[in-house]
Amino acid sequence: MSFEAKRCGVQFSPPSIVLIYQQKETKDVRKRIIPVRNFSKYSDCSMAAEGLKNHPRHKDYLEGVSQSQLEKLHIILRDHMQGLSLEHSLASFRLDPDEDLNQLDDDKLARKKGKMDELFEKNRKHKDDPDFVYDLEMDFTKTTQEKCSWDEESDDGF
Amino acid sequence: MAGDAGSIPELDQKKYDSGEQVKIICLGDSAVGKSKLMERFLMDEYRPQQLSTYALTLYKHTATVGNKTVAIDFWDTAGQERFQSMHPSYYHKAHACIMVFDVQRKITYKNLANWYKELREFRPEIPCCVVANKIDADLKVTQRSFNFGKKQGIPFYFVSAADGTNVVKMFREMITRAVEYKQNPSDFMDEVLQELENFDLEEKEDPEADEVGLKTESPELE
Ligand SMILES: Nc1nc2c(ncn2[C@@H]2O[C@H](COP(=O)(O)OP(=O)(O)OP(=O)(O)O)[C@@H](O)[C@H]2O)c(=O)[nH]1
Ligand SMILES: [Mg+2]
Repeated sequence: MSFEAKRCGVQFSPPSIVLIYQQKETKDVRKRIIPVRNFSKYSDCSMAAEGLKNHPRHKDYLEGVSQSQLEKLHIILRDHMQGLSLEHSLASFRLDPDEDLNQLDDDKLARKKGKMDELFEKNRKHKDDPDFVYDLEMDFTKTTQEKCSWDEESDDGF
Repeated sequence: MAGDAGSIPELDQKKYDSGEQVKIICLGDSAVGKSKLMERFLMDEYRPQQLSTYALTLYKHTATVGNKTVAIDFWDTAGQERFQSMHPSYYHKAHACIMVFDVQRKITYKNLANWYKELREFRPEIPCCVVANKIDADLKVTQRSFNFGKKQGIPFYFVSAADGTNVVKMFREMITRAVEYKQNPSDFMDEVLQELENFDLEEKEDPEADEVGLKTESPELE
């Protein structure tokens, strides 16, 4: 039996991960509620996500859900346990291109990197991919012409 | 802090004086992709050594340059502000520097000026390059010319750690330049140090030199 994950979210009480999936053979769409056990406001979200991803009873259903998404959902649950609002959690994942990430602590930075990982994983070429080239080269010197606006306003030694 | 240069107890930096040991450092803001670039270049080969107190990761690599085998240590540190106090030892004895920014975040490009300034305070002459990472996110950026590298007279690369574009090329060229620099160092600092050493020697031969400038305890003062 194989499943295709459609959507994945959280439910605060009792704390659970909610998965909407389709059974590939029958095309039935179902909801699976996975209670998150032994998880507190002090828990390590990355470890909890890994545990769930490899859980014998759930792992077949969660195959299409990345570990970083599961980690994100655990962060939302943990934030809620710490009394933080859902809006706060979601804002912490959002990427603001002007924000100076050098100032963030580990946890906050991990949230931003988690968000960046979505695109990274999407564009990533793996060593097992048939078209993988280790030494991939592209020459952009012919295509670069436009001046970059980032170089203007040069009051800072640029 | 400068007196601490090179004094990470876990690490012996003297080895970088030997002919076959090269040290290449990586600089840039948080989350620009420094670590992902290392991992892409080294693939499965890498066995990083983590020194989390210093937010430092060391990647070891062996390469052949010309007909010589060299052992390269890549030093990767976090861009986070609170780790910046370790920087003097980070720069110490480095033979080349890779500076990275994220093409999706202007602030990381603007900050290159600060990274570069700090680098040049410690290592005025080592080969350096500017790397524009994450071009997979928007290939259009490669049509723009980023002038920072040109202005400083250092090479510029468009790369992507995700799909691998130009990563290997950039690392290989930097390794070659690091080795060349090592064989033929022109670092001002090193020269100053050498002159100081010479001065020291002359001084011992000529006791009168003590009176010039150097305050040494001398019995004649009594
Ligand atoms: N799309 C895309 N994303 C990337 C690329 N390289 C890195 N990323 C993303 O950027 C995030 C940060 O990359 P890291 O390698 O951790 O950045 P870093 O410079 O080592 O960051 P610090 O060590 O915290 O200073 C990763 O989690 C990826 O999601 C790339 O080439 N393309
Ligand atoms: Mg890193």
